[in-house]
Amino acid sequence: MNEQPVMVFKDVVKVYPLPSGDVTALDDISFQVERGEFISVMGPSGSGKSTLLNLMGCLDTPTSGDIYISGTRTGDMSDMDLTNLRRDRIGFIFQYFNLFPLLNIIENVTFPMMLKSQKTVDPEKGKEVLRSVQLDDSLFTHTPTEISGGQQQRVSIARALINDPDILLCDEPTGNLDSKTGAGIMDLMSELNRKGTTIIMVTHDSHIAEYSQRTIRIADGRIVQ
Amino acid sequence: MIFWEIAKRNIRLHMLRSTLAMLGIVIGVVAIASMGILGNSLVATVSESLSSVGDRVTVSPYSGGGGGFGSGGGGTSTSVNLKLSDQNFQEIKRAVAPNVAIPVVSTSERMKVGVGTDDIVATIYGVDPQYIPDLKLVLTAGGYNNGNSGCLVGFTFAKDHNIKVGSRISIGSDGEKGTLRVTGIIEERGMSFDLSTDNAIVATQDWFDNTYNRNDYDQIIVKVKEGQDTADVKTLIEKTLNKRDKIVSVMDSKATLASIYSTFSMVTTFVTAIGGISMVVAGVSIFNIMMMSVSERIKEIGIMRSIGTQKKEVMSMFIYEAAIIGLIGSIVGGVLSIVAGYLISALMLGSTKYLITMANALSVGEGICFGIVVCLACGIYPAWQAANLNPIDALRHE
Repeated sequence: MNEQPVMVFKDVVKVYPLPSGDVTALDDISFQVERGEFISVMGPSGSGKSTLLNLMGCLDTPTSGDIYISGTRTGDMSDMDLTNLRRDRIGFIFQYFNLFPLLNIIENVTFPMMLKSQKTVDPEKGKEVLRSVQLDDSLFTHTPTEISGGQQQRVSIARALINDPDILLCDEPTGNLDSKTGAGIMDLMSELNRKGTTIIMVTHDSHIAEYSQRTIRIADGRIVQ
Repeated sequence: MIFWEIAKRNIRLHMLRSTLAMLGIVIGVVAIASMGILGNSLVATVSESLSSVGDRVTVSPYSGGGGGFGSGGGGTSTSVNLKLSDQNFQEIKRAVAPNVAIPVVSTSERMKVGVGTDDIVATIYGVDPQYIPDLKLVLTAGGYNNGNSGCLVGFTFAKDHNIKVGSRISIGSDGEKGTLRVTGIIEERGMSFDLSTDNAIVATQDWFDNTYNRNDYDQIIVKVKEGQDTADVKTLIEKTLNKRDKIVSVMDSKATLASIYSTFSMVTTFVTAIGGISMVVAGVSIFNIMMMSVSERIKEIGIMRSIGTQKKEVMSMFIYEAAIIGLIGSIVGGVLSIVAGYLISALMLGSTKYLITMANALSVGEGICFGIVVCLACGIYPAWQAANLNPIDALRHE
């Protein structure tokens, strides 16, 4: 088993240059995430949560400092390599599900697989993952608009899991769901974590954060706890 | 591949918009290809009437302003008294041997067909009967053996004045120059480099010389034998006769044909280019639609990029969309252009026999290819823009 941390942030600074003056969104952030951890990131609006999530998801690069994903330093990577890293090592779960309306459920789930293999894939693995997130077989050929929000989030989780990523990055995964459905989704995420999936979840909701093992609190671009 | 599928589904989702874009391409391809078909059919029609006389070199007296096209009946030469002497003819004959040199005299004359009819004016050619077969004067009625007072008449002349084999034509005002008897009617020749016989009379040279007291010529037609180049014969004549002063103008029918074809080709290119304007308009419409498609799907692009879609894959999705519109529009346009080409040829040229030719197939192919290329070209910038969106900004887009 690979024992190195799945993610390391070392002295990371992110500054946005604006006409009105530079804005420091993250100021000297350092932390690491061990394999199998379930971490919540909390903080008030404007504290730097989204910037942190973008850096963790390799959608953005730091102004200074280093980020390592599964031992790989992201600062030296090209856009193409970062895109491949997102595809192979990171699973994204969004607040608004963000499924593709033109594709049916099974195609949405197998989309990252197709990106990886560059050809048509066997839908069986997609079905297997969809069953593991407790989605009914009868919904597999529906389009995202034909299913409920909770079901859409399950599909989104299945899509994030399809390439067996090292980390699941979740941005307010229950933010657009009622409390009962949200609890169901969180139970599913806890179950995934128990099976070994590393999860980093950004949330405002302290009840949701209770599902995690550790919470990183941010204020004014710094880790406060 | 999934991006091809997404492109297809997006076109289906916006069927009306996509159909209108395709319609633009259809119109563009039809405009280009049918104009090409018209031009090709025009060239083919003209070629048919000219190719049979592509082996002639025509020598006429130098008038200071170039040789001109055909003899025009010799009226001009007569009026400025420019003639070729028998010595000129003999020199040409020797220079071009073994090719046949045919001396021709001509004039414009008043004449009357039948009693009580009005005077008409037409060209009379005088040609030695031995050269008639070399001039390829094909007859639709009668025969060549016309005797001294016999003549051949052109197809249009015969038709317009109801002339038949055996009819008599009084030459000159009140028939002062005698009467010619029609022995044959020459098949329609159309535009010609040597004798324009359709509206003329071809009499014997003896009759002509006696009637008009002539011992010189208006033009000399050299029939170049197969395997010899008309340009070489032209050079030979010019070297022989225009040694000191320019006394003759020499026209090479092959070079003139090439010049005519080149002119028609330019006309075809020009009308095709006019058709191309509609393709440019269609291209602008495709560009607009692709830009709309990109702006409607910014968030989708952001999601794709965040879950590991490469820039080139995002780009391919939009290129596929433009390609599908271009391919369908161009193929439909290609089929319709054959129909349009048929109608235009039938209405403007009165014949569709040149519709199925390699040149027309090429025109349709060019129209189709141009349609596809325009669509792809107009899809490239929107696709590039989509691929280069910042994933974070695209994800935030509402």
